[in-house]
Amino acid sequence: MIGKTFIKETKELFREGRVRISLFIVLALLGVAVWISTRQYEAVNDQYAAAKTTERSVWDGQGEKNPHSAAHYGTYAFKPKYPLSLVDQGVDKYAGTSIFLEAHNRNDAQFSAAADQTGLARFGDLTPDFILLFIIPLLIILLGYNSLTKEREMGTLALLKSQGISFWKMILGKWTALFLPILVITVTLFLIAGVVLSRIEDFGVFNWDALLAMCLIYIMYYAVFTNLVLIVSALTRKSGVSLVIALSMWIAACLAAPKMATNVANNQHPYPTAQEFAASILEDKENGLDGHNPWSEESKKLEQDVLAKYGVDSLHQLPFNFDGYRMQKGEEHAAEVYFKHYKLLKDQYERQSEVYQGLAVLSPYLPTRFMSMAVAHTDYGTHWDFSDAAEKYRIATQKFLNEHFAENSGYGEWGWQADADFWQQLPAFEYEPTSLKSTIREQKANLSILGIWLLLSFSGLLLTVKRF
Amino acid sequence: MLRPNFKYELKQLLRSNWLWLLCIILISLFSFATYNGLKKVEAREALIASAKAKTQENDTKMLKTLDSLEQGLEVHLKPWDLPSDPIVVGSDHPRVAAMPAADFTFLATGQSDLFAHYKKPKVYGGGIIEDFTEMTSPVQLLFGSFDLAFVIVFLLPLLIIAFSYNVLSAERESGTLRLLAAQPIGIRTWVLQKLLIRFFWLSVLVLVSLIGVLLVFKADPFTNISGLLGLLGLVLVYMLFWFALAFLVNLWVGSSAKNAVAMLGLWIGFVLLVPSMLNQLGTTIYPMPSRTLMINELRARQADATERQDEILDNYLRDHPEYAVNDTTETRNFWHGYMASQNLLRDEIKPVTDRYNAQLKKQQRWVNRFKWLSPAVTIQESLNKLAGTATSDYENYREQVLAFSEEWRAHFMPFLYNNQKFAKADYPDLPRFEYQKQDQSQMASIPMLLLISLVLFGLGFLASRNMKSGGILNQA
Repeated sequence: MIGKTFIKETKELFREGRVRISLFIVLALLGVAVWISTRQYEAVNDQYAAAKTTERSVWDGQGEKNPHSAAHYGTYAFKPKYPLSLVDQGVDKYAGTSIFLEAHNRNDAQFSAAADQTGLARFGDLTPDFILLFIIPLLIILLGYNSLTKEREMGTLALLKSQGISFWKMILGKWTALFLPILVITVTLFLIAGVVLSRIEDFGVFNWDALLAMCLIYIMYYAVFTNLVLIVSALTRKSGVSLVIALSMWIAACLAAPKMATNVANNQHPYPTAQEFAASILEDKENGLDGHNPWSEESKKLEQDVLAKYGVDSLHQLPFNFDGYRMQKGEEHAAEVYFKHYKLLKDQYERQSEVYQGLAVLSPYLPTRFMSMAVAHTDYGTHWDFSDAAEKYRIATQKFLNEHFAENSGYGEWGWQADADFWQQLPAFEYEPTSLKSTIREQKANLSILGIWLLLSFSGLLLTVKRF
Repeated sequence: MLRPNFKYELKQLLRSNWLWLLCIILISLFSFATYNGLKKVEAREALIASAKAKTQENDTKMLKTLDSLEQGLEVHLKPWDLPSDPIVVGSDHPRVAAMPAADFTFLATGQSDLFAHYKKPKVYGGGIIEDFTEMTSPVQLLFGSFDLAFVIVFLLPLLIIAFSYNVLSAERESGTLRLLAAQPIGIRTWVLQKLLIRFFWLSVLVLVSLIGVLLVFKADPFTNISGLLGLLGLVLVYMLFWFALAFLVNLWVGSSAKNAVAMLGLWIGFVLLVPSMLNQLGTTIYPMPSRTLMINELRARQADATERQDEILDNYLRDHPEYAVNDTTETRNFWHGYMASQNLLRDEIKPVTDRYNAQLKKQQRWVNRFKWLSPAVTIQESLNKLAGTATSDYENYREQVLAFSEEWRAHFMPFLYNNQKFAKADYPDLPRFEYQKQDQSQMASIPMLLLISLVLFGLGFLASRNMKSGGILNQA
């Protein structure tokens, strides 16, 4: 029975013009989206590589200079683009791509692509994730809205009943017929993405496991939509009404719910503005040691402590340059202040994430979106991770420079300069994103929410069909 | 025939539960969106107000200190924090250059979540390139905000579709079409009448609930009558456009379900696909130069300017002989060299940063040229303009702030190079920033969309002429 229903439904689907046309449109869109994203990905990667080497050679070629001048001169950390961003661009467009690493200050990532585009960009981009998250669920609705209503409308329901069929077998047949084309499209898309990605040179962290994980997430998402569409089709009498209801669900889940979620998240756990954030950091910084200011109370105290520790009575007698030492202590204080404030910001971000997870009860789109971005390393979490890594590197760099200054010069020797080849000794900034395993562990909540959606929608479908 | 038709429609509407459901949906969507918009505006205004208050407070302190200094009293400040130093005033006592909200800012979030609404340009400190972006969670930027513009541009057409997709097909499916055919009225005229009546009632519903919600939330819609009329006009022509599409689809396509699918296809095309394709094409034809490579370029120039600081100062003073004349002491400290090299650097990188603005302007021109391809884009752009949150508004603000920042720096240069102290009497002369709004009237797109809708209606009439009523009656 399952097999027969499946064959009949599939035949019917492919006979219909709307299916052929919509399949064709979706495939064409996907083709365009993949092509555009691949080009963009390659261009960005080239720029990234160029910027990174140029910046490093600028740093290495500073010539003779005081290490603290070099610290102010600073360097940049550039955020790389990861292979799976080809499939899901995530928040990449809205997050900055470069962080300026300098003495005393932690800077935010600058230059997001969205700030350099017109308001039109806010409608969304024609990227594979747009097709995967929005258009394919729509395709499911289009293919399946009348799957059960047509049996009522054509009067074949009575015939079916008279034959004593088992409804769940029929449903399973219909379910498979609806789901199989979607499955084929999805798997093909991911295969193409995999082939494209493994052909691009320097694909670094790309692995097939992550691609497979992403593919599975989307398959779960589509299974949920298939169930929902069939439930609606079973509960309504007319195809038109079924379509309108299924569509409203799509709009609520994919368009309205995410927007509502941002408003709720921001109303409950607002972010400070850039100005407020900077002001509160400045306040804390001023209450501590300023490495540039030898006259402040904190500096005097540090002086006394150090003199006592080394048993000498003048800063000139210390075995190192006290200026460099104080500079480093000031840096450590500033780093603590930044750590505290960014921690507060991060807490706020985590609370917002909880709001999104809470609202995922309303929409299977939300957990899917978050998981997909996380696996692709284009989510906000990765951005945080990158910016934390850059900060760690900044602190290490300051230490490296201040210690060199302290060890090689005498007190008061502000004119002292390090050798021209000293700069090359600074290790380069390297950033490794989290592994797939730990990403999935972090996404446990979203994964279970999507799992619950899958279970509930399946049981909902079986329950409705019983009363069909 | 119009009168019975009108009566019948009204009766049917009032009796159906759909109308009440629609009313509730509309009012709750409008309310939630308005609430969100007003909350954002409120936060923005509060922020600007507190920044201004803080500046005022600091100014009072500064004036007191200046007063004490001028009377020769002792002050408890570190020598490098004394406001008699013009650089201290220029850097530690900046003015707030704010972009206040407009009357209808709550309508559309537009680009307002992307950019900051006040800046404090300083003589020293702050990057060489002013960063105008706001600290917003990128997730929030990705999902967007649930504002009135979203309800109007995205959701309202769907309500219209639900309201109009089966005007003709329902009659056919219930078998009453043949009865209708016996009446002395053409099918096309009848469909048109029916749709226009529905347009009328839906318009009344939308306008009343919209204005009602605005009044309840105290958004004061009547303080800016021309803005309000613009808003209502935009909503009406947009609705009319979708009814015109419904007219075509009702005449051309067949069963209710097929109509619904066709309307939905149009909705996806106009609201989702055309805008994203336009954007993609715009950014492909006028690509932004890489920001990461720009950093490389800036760094090279910065390194060069630092190295040549002394030479730059000499050249600068040669170009500004007035400073050499007015100051007999001719003492030179760090600031003299620094400011001269920064000025030079600013002049040098201006062409680099101008490239970005020029490219953005080209993209915007591209959007303006092709926005007619999708009324959704037209309406969204017009609503953003009305709200003062469009790309061009923020560009306008950026330009004004940059000009002010220039003015602010220039104001302190004579003090610095003449080695002149900043005095209490100089306070009233400090430059002030006043944001100049750009023109917000968006009437131009209203007649254009009206025209498009009328052409669609006309098209329906002309094209369905050859499929005679017999064709319509017998369609599947």
